[in-house]
Amino acid sequence: MNVHVRSLVLAVVVVSTVLALTTFAIWFERKFAGRMQSRLGPTRVGPVGLLQPVADAFKLMQKESIRPANADWALFNLAPLLAAVCALGAAAVVPLAPGLAAADVDLGVLFVLAIGAVTVLPVFIAGWSSNNKFALLGGMRAIAQSISYEVPLLLAALVPIILSGSMNLSEIVRQQAEGHWIAVWPFFLGIPAFAIFLLAMLAESNRIPFDIPEAESELVAGVTTEYTGMKFALFYLAEYAHTLIASALGAALFLGGWDGPFGPGLHWLLLKTFVLFGSVYWVRWTLLRFRSDQLLRICWTWLVPAGVVLVMGAGAWVAWGPLP
Amino acid sequence: MMDTIGFGVVAGVSVVSALYVVRSANLIHAVLWLALTLLASAVLYAMLEAPFLAGVQVLTYVGGVVTLMIFGVMLTQRHDGTVAAASNVRNWAGVAAAIALCTLLFVAVGRSDLTTGTPPPATTTTEIGRSLLDEHLVAFEALSLLLLAAIVGAVVLARRKDHEAGDATVPTSPPSARRGAE
Repeated sequence: MNVHVRSLVLAVVVVSTVLALTTFAIWFERKFAGRMQSRLGPTRVGPVGLLQPVADAFKLMQKESIRPANADWALFNLAPLLAAVCALGAAAVVPLAPGLAAADVDLGVLFVLAIGAVTVLPVFIAGWSSNNKFALLGGMRAIAQSISYEVPLLLAALVPIILSGSMNLSEIVRQQAEGHWIAVWPFFLGIPAFAIFLLAMLAESNRIPFDIPEAESELVAGVTTEYTGMKFALFYLAEYAHTLIASALGAALFLGGWDGPFGPGLHWLLLKTFVLFGSVYWVRWTLLRFRSDQLLRICWTWLVPAGVVLVMGAGAWVAWGPLP
Repeated sequence: MMDTIGFGVVAGVSVVSALYVVRSANLIHAVLWLALTLLASAVLYAMLEAPFLAGVQVLTYVGGVVTLMIFGVMLTQRHDGTVAAASNVRNWAGVAAAIALCTLLFVAVGRSDLTTGTPPPATTTTEIGRSLLDEHLVAFEALSLLLLAAIVGAVVLARRKDHEAGDATVPTSPPSARRGAE
């Protein structure tokens, strides 16, 4: 019973922390985007606009919840919930500090990849059930993108798995803490794999430059066109939470997770996560959106072959390389 | 006790969703119910202490196969207010086949010895990998050769259709998807 209570407490703590960080992340992005465009960003609500996300949440709660007449109501209402659950689920296996993870499962990486594979379903359900051509087009794009980018994501995640010989995220981080971070040594495998992992993760969470499922200049708002109020807020939240957790996973798989100088701990994981998260927004506010055929071509002609070469290289390194 | 209740819930979900897969008139609904069935069987695998199988089940079936099925349905069906209807006409041959399969499974489960069993090793991944590349190496390689042949065949078929179709006929897939696939 003790184990169950511990899991429950950790689950509540982790989910609340991720949600709180997500709210902060929304403020961070608006401020960051503002500064990049020589604006101030939010300043009115609270000190330096810190309470802006709270105000946004209250505004969204007051909105009327509209459902299109011909929408498939069950699926239409289910999609936002599923999106939030899928985004938060992956947080369970992130190792937070030495010996601490909400769920220290042996196949943590596989669990994360499996959840990532399911993440596309709520996006498609939202697009299809809205019965709106823009939403449907967004859903179709999401499916095409997800089928393609799942392959490089798996290949890139295989590199740390092969190098550390484990699928347990805590074990991968522990080995990096004892030896080298995978992005540092062997860097010719670690850095490209890290880059592919980040790109594919961005594509899975539909961030710019991979946000063609909701390209607002072409598809109104893509899959979220018909959503209002809290249902829209859940999608919004899921997207930010997904990016945040993807950054944490990238930090754990390639950048040593909680490891760092002056004592390991949660602060290092948070720092690395926020640096990655910030760079995601840096990319978002710098680059333009890809066309969907360009997106698929990048995946199949560059990322997949590169991933295969990296996996083979990692195997060769483990078999014949110098001992760590 | 907890395990029994959990098994009951998961088994119930899996059976009910499987029924809805064949009962839904709407193809998309059927595919989504299928996703639930597959997820429930993944949970069953996890409860049987086969976490690797559970993860791979979700990754390949829910993430890959269901997604591809949805893609296929969307590319072949129109979505102008009409539902993508699946025919579920009562078919006596189908009933007979179902009864035959159920009898077969019942007999097979009844005859196999499910009581004894060694506890599974802590990490099954290593064992699975070793047995695939050691004991079953020939079968494994034959399978990958078969899949490679299937991929090459699919590419050849898709290319030939592209050349024959020319500009006169309506392409079966949106231009962006075709360009991306090349």
